[in-house]
Amino acid sequence: MQQQSQQAPPPHSTSTPPPAPPSSTGGSAAEAPPKQVALAMDKLGEAERIIADIRIGADRVLEALFVAASEPRHGTKPLQLFLKEDACMRRYLQDLRSLGKELEESGVRSRKDFWGLHMPLVCPDGTMVGYAWKRQLAGQAGASAVDRTRLALKAFTDQKRRFFPHLDCGLETNESASKKRCGSVESTLDPKEESSILKMLPDVLKSVEKEVPNLKILTFERLDWLKRASTLNSSTNENSVDHSYPGSNKLRLGSLGTVATEKVAVIEMLVPSTFRVVISLHPAGSTDPDAVAFFAPEESGSYVHARGFSVHHVFRHITDYAATALQYFLGNQVESSLYCLLHWICSYQTLFSRPCSKCSRLLAADKQSAFLLPPVLRPYWQFSLSKILSTISTKDHTSDITPAYHLGCFSEEL
Amino acid sequence: MTVKWILHWTPTPGSVVNSQILSEISQCVESFVNAVKDGRWKATLTFYRPNLRDQSIPSEFPRDFLGISLLEQPNKYYFIIRGNKIILEADSTILTIMEKLQSYKSKVALNFEGVQYKMGDFQMKVVKVVPNQGESLRGILIEIEYLPISSIEKAKPIMEEFLEVWREVMSKKSLPGHFTQTEPHFADYKLPDNYTSQHTAIQYAAALAQLIQSAQLRG
Repeated sequence: MQQQSQQAPPPHSTSTPPPAPPSSTGGSAAEAPPKQVALAMDKLGEAERIIADIRIGADRVLEALFVAASEPRHGTKPLQLFLKEDACMRRYLQDLRSLGKELEESGVRSRKDFWGLHMPLVCPDGTMVGYAWKRQLAGQAGASAVDRTRLALKAFTDQKRRFFPHLDCGLETNESASKKRCGSVESTLDPKEESSILKMLPDVLKSVEKEVPNLKILTFERLDWLKRASTLNSSTNENSVDHSYPGSNKLRLGSLGTVATEKVAVIEMLVPSTFRVVISLHPAGSTDPDAVAFFAPEESGSYVHARGFSVHHVFRHITDYAATALQYFLGNQVESSLYCLLHWICSYQTLFSRPCSKCSRLLAADKQSAFLLPPVLRPYWQFSLSKILSTISTKDHTSDITPAYHLGCFSEEL
Repeated sequence: MTVKWILHWTPTPGSVVNSQILSEISQCVESFVNAVKDGRWKATLTFYRPNLRDQSIPSEFPRDFLGISLLEQPNKYYFIIRGNKIILEADSTILTIMEKLQSYKSKVALNFEGVQYKMGDFQMKVVKVVPNQGESLRGILIEIEYLPISSIEKAKPIMEEFLEVWREVMSKKSLPGHFTQTEPHFADYKLPDNYTSQHTAIQYAAALAQLIQSAQLRG
């Protein structure tokens, strides 16, 4: 069963809840999803009312304290007021807790969000809760139908594989078999072995660092990144000069050793003199990327984060394209999405030196703006776990063979 | 800082540098790759000569001692001795010190006046060289800048291709002359790969030296 968590303070669950299959929950499972949603909405409305009561109650408590402090001659009156309010508050909080439990049991807060419907971040005073929860629910209602279909399909293919092995013709190796360009070589590694290498975040990062020289990877907690983003310009120069400068806080702000793995929410990848990439993970400590953005190494400021945009056109275009690539990796390379994403990003090391594979020039005018840009597109569908591992084992550097295209040169290449 | 390349205009033998050529070049830039005018720019270059009571021992003192000020670094002043490949970045208050010391006198002062254009991730400046007192045009320079990169080595392929495209556009206008680039030899000055205003100062000094040389050749 799911664990209970407090609702009055920000309800941000830090434990990863197990993915609950849709039919294993309490009494309301017997009803169809729309009714479930309506019930959940009602309960949310109730929760909102209780929260409002709690806020008023808190005001009254403070008032009582204030009165007691300013006029001590009132005797026991403020004390009684205080006790009364305290009892009320406890009752409200209890109501809220049980309501929260009900909501959890009806499946509202249980599942791991695959479709990008993340737990909404709550403002400290709780004002956003009701609206954000409603949005969350509506999205989940839609997503649950797709989820169910996916699970059904998975169950079907599993059974088919078990009872009709002779019909097994490799359809499962490519979920997107309809796309002709995804014909990847089947890996010789046992699939369990492959994905076990990459389940832990530190392992993924260490393996990428080993495989791609000249790359620096740093990790941060989400708030720490905001602090670092504004001081990037001053610290990059230090970084290149002296790595082991003792006592300098800035250099030790983030590295695998000093940030607890389960708190890592931002990954920074720096290829010196070429680009800096910021990747955000959700939930923290997992290997699920949810946003990626490219910047020039000298850019610094509060806009440098995984959902920000560079001031340079070339990096803006790449960031747009990276969003598509990210969705592809999340959808098609589910177990190794972060690993494939990092390798794909590393293929951009040659951004300013490799000419376009179609027109053999380095600069080409963009159709819309007429600005000259280097080839910003690198095909992401060539990056699958098996392919990366096989290229690494044959000691061939992926960056040498990944083709690059200008925006204009690419559309015909499909 | 982002990497800049500076080229100077070399007129074909027999022709002169005049304001008509300057306006033609400006037109070329304006119609090039969706350019947008971005503002004005200025720099000054001063030749210094040692202030000696006895004029007969000049050999110990450097003959090509220059001082450069740049718009983008209002608090700095750059000293260059080209013969010994020395560059020094000093605070602009050094000028007051020099005034007080009176050890060097300003011989010739030149102004670089430029118009800046922005085209996507590139920037160009069309710069005219005029003496401090006077309006006669002594030379034309262009400056090309690629904003995303700060490493000189990394920027080379991109800048070279940009220059090719630029030269193609220029050749259509068939002006009497072409732009040449002086090899700046940053390594001789012991400068790092990361581009800074010191690199800019050296390039302007080198370009000017070339301009003077070609002017002398033309008589």
